[in-house]
Amino acid sequence: MPQIRLENLVKRYGNFEVLHGINLEMEENEFTVLVGPSGCGKSTTLRMIAGLESVSDGEIFINEKPVSNLEPKARDLAMVFQDYALYPHMNVAKNMSFALRLQRRPKKEIDEKVGVVAEMLGLTKFLHRKPGELSGGQRQRVAMGRALTRDAGTFLFDEPLSNLDAKLRGQMRAELALMRQQVQKNMIYVTHDQIEAMTLGDRIVVMHGGYIQQQGTPEELFKRPANKFVAGFLGSPPMNFLEAEVQDLSDRSFVSGKGFELVLPEDKAAAVASSSSKAVTLGIRPSDLHYSPDAEDHESVDLQVIVSEYIGAQSVLLCDCGGQKVEVELKSETPIALGETLRFAVNREGIHMFDRETEVAIR
Amino acid sequence: MSAQTEKQNPAFYALIAALVVMSVGPIALMLATSFKTNVDVYDASVSAFFFSPTIKNYETVLCNFLWYEPAHVDYCDPTFGRALVNSLIVGLISTGLTLTIGCMAAYALVRFKFMGRGAVSMTTLLMRMVPPAVLLVPVFGIWTFQYGLDQTYAGIILIYTAMNLPFVIWILQSFIVQVPIQLEEAARMDGANPFQVFFLVVLPIIQPGLAAAAIFTFRIAWNEFLLANALSGRSTRTVPVTIVNSITEYDINWGVIMATGMLLAIPPILFTFVASKQIITGMTAGAVKG
Repeated sequence: MPQIRLENLVKRYGNFEVLHGINLEMEENEFTVLVGPSGCGKSTTLRMIAGLESVSDGEIFINEKPVSNLEPKARDLAMVFQDYALYPHMNVAKNMSFALRLQRRPKKEIDEKVGVVAEMLGLTKFLHRKPGELSGGQRQRVAMGRALTRDAGTFLFDEPLSNLDAKLRGQMRAELALMRQQVQKNMIYVTHDQIEAMTLGDRIVVMHGGYIQQQGTPEELFKRPANKFVAGFLGSPPMNFLEAEVQDLSDRSFVSGKGFELVLPEDKAAAVASSSSKAVTLGIRPSDLHYSPDAEDHESVDLQVIVSEYIGAQSVLLCDCGGQKVEVELKSETPIALGETLRFAVNREGIHMFDRETEVAIR
Repeated sequence: MSAQTEKQNPAFYALIAALVVMSVGPIALMLATSFKTNVDVYDASVSAFFFSPTIKNYETVLCNFLWYEPAHVDYCDPTFGRALVNSLIVGLISTGLTLTIGCMAAYALVRFKFMGRGAVSMTTLLMRMVPPAVLLVPVFGIWTFQYGLDQTYAGIILIYTAMNLPFVIWILQSFIVQVPIQLEEAARMDGANPFQVFFLVVLPIIQPGLAAAAIFTFRIAWNEFLLANALSGRSTRTVPVTIVNSITEYDINWGVIMATGMLLAIPPILFTFVASKQIITGMTAGAVKG
């Protein structure tokens, strides 16, 4: 089974460089998610692996074999496209078997494979329909079925769920996760949706501006973001950022800004001590703030509620902290009034600090 | 719907009737005349539509295809029958050639990036703007004296193909542009080589465009007179040329000419019916998210 390695991968359009030397290794049977905002180069990277875009510099290795000059069909890949790309003149069965028919496999084998995959995806009833007669979710399933029927070594997904409505997306996400358990293959998945990335990926690669910002397991990235971008990108609602200064007193260190002063846990204090910068950006996730009226002064912040967004069991409160905006999550039954000032305890583990200049995490 | 049950102005019906008479009238007259004897045609006392019909004219035209010898035909003149066959040969082959070359050229112009692509695309259409009459003299000279292609099928087919190609390329370009590039990428990922992408994915999708282009080229090749008149010989004459040639200063057999005219109209009608079946809307329905 293939292991894929990208080495200093560069993509230029004319003089304009969009990917600046991507280095990445994907292990056998790993589900890798490339995630980032639009224009970060994640789709370009995938298309270069697929062979649909030329490689300007660097090399792609599949099983230690350089492939950047090979045609897509020589790379043993199957791909699911963002907008399905089903052949409109063929029915579902013909769509799914197209690759096998090109390889001139025996008809019996083709029928068998299509049957198995159709069963797995719940498409058996629709095998004789044209794509035009299917709903969006069914089309997406056919597109996935077409890739699965091929039995390729690696599967590429280019934002496969982004055209579906929210409910269907959730459903298909679960189906993908299920399919993932049944099909042990290398998968590379591109998305701009951080929830998809977190739920599906074995490994997440966060990209921004043509650079890899950080890669690792979902938990690593969520708990120990390497910089402010990764911290702000993953997690919903996003992490709060507050301008702050670090003050070293004899026994303890504090991080303080307008409207708050927090004591730093020892490991953080040590990290800041070894860093030259005292001007930092403090990052706290909404989930690390807990409503707690009698928390200690230096382990909590006082926030004035501006807006409350009711979203069911939880409400998201938009609050003011010395002129800066902070979002917190709160159980909806907690009685609060707009304009009220509430005290929130800060989870010690949840204090993240970033250098204000370089935006790199201090840890 | 109230609009449909509403009474229309009588002038509206009069206008419709006038339009119908104008468009169907000549054809009806032609059909009626084709069933008249030559005597009846010239006899002013015989009504245009009420007379004793005869199929003699059709027998005369098709005499060399009939399994019996019509009694009234002393000498079977094969000219008309042969002209029909010639027209079919020329029309079908030139249509086939035009479509084959045209779809590949159009694909290249749409998908391949090369220097001067826009200029090539424009100039193909410019060529279409030259009237056939202007082409006539040089083409006749070159075909006759340089290549000896005069009086052959090849000569006529070649000029028809050249004449129709620009427009066909132009039509097909607009169809190929609509084929989502992702489909071709998907086919490439599925392991298709460039020819398979073209023949198995692109061509079936632009079928409506091919049908429209086929109707267009076939009708032009079928109806064309000027070039056919100059380039065809006795045995390669197409129907329009033959009809005109049969009008002489001594004798005009209107009945036979009208019968030929009716027969001339049948193949394009059939062809259009068959081809237009392929023209269905929504050719890429369901291919990609709209």
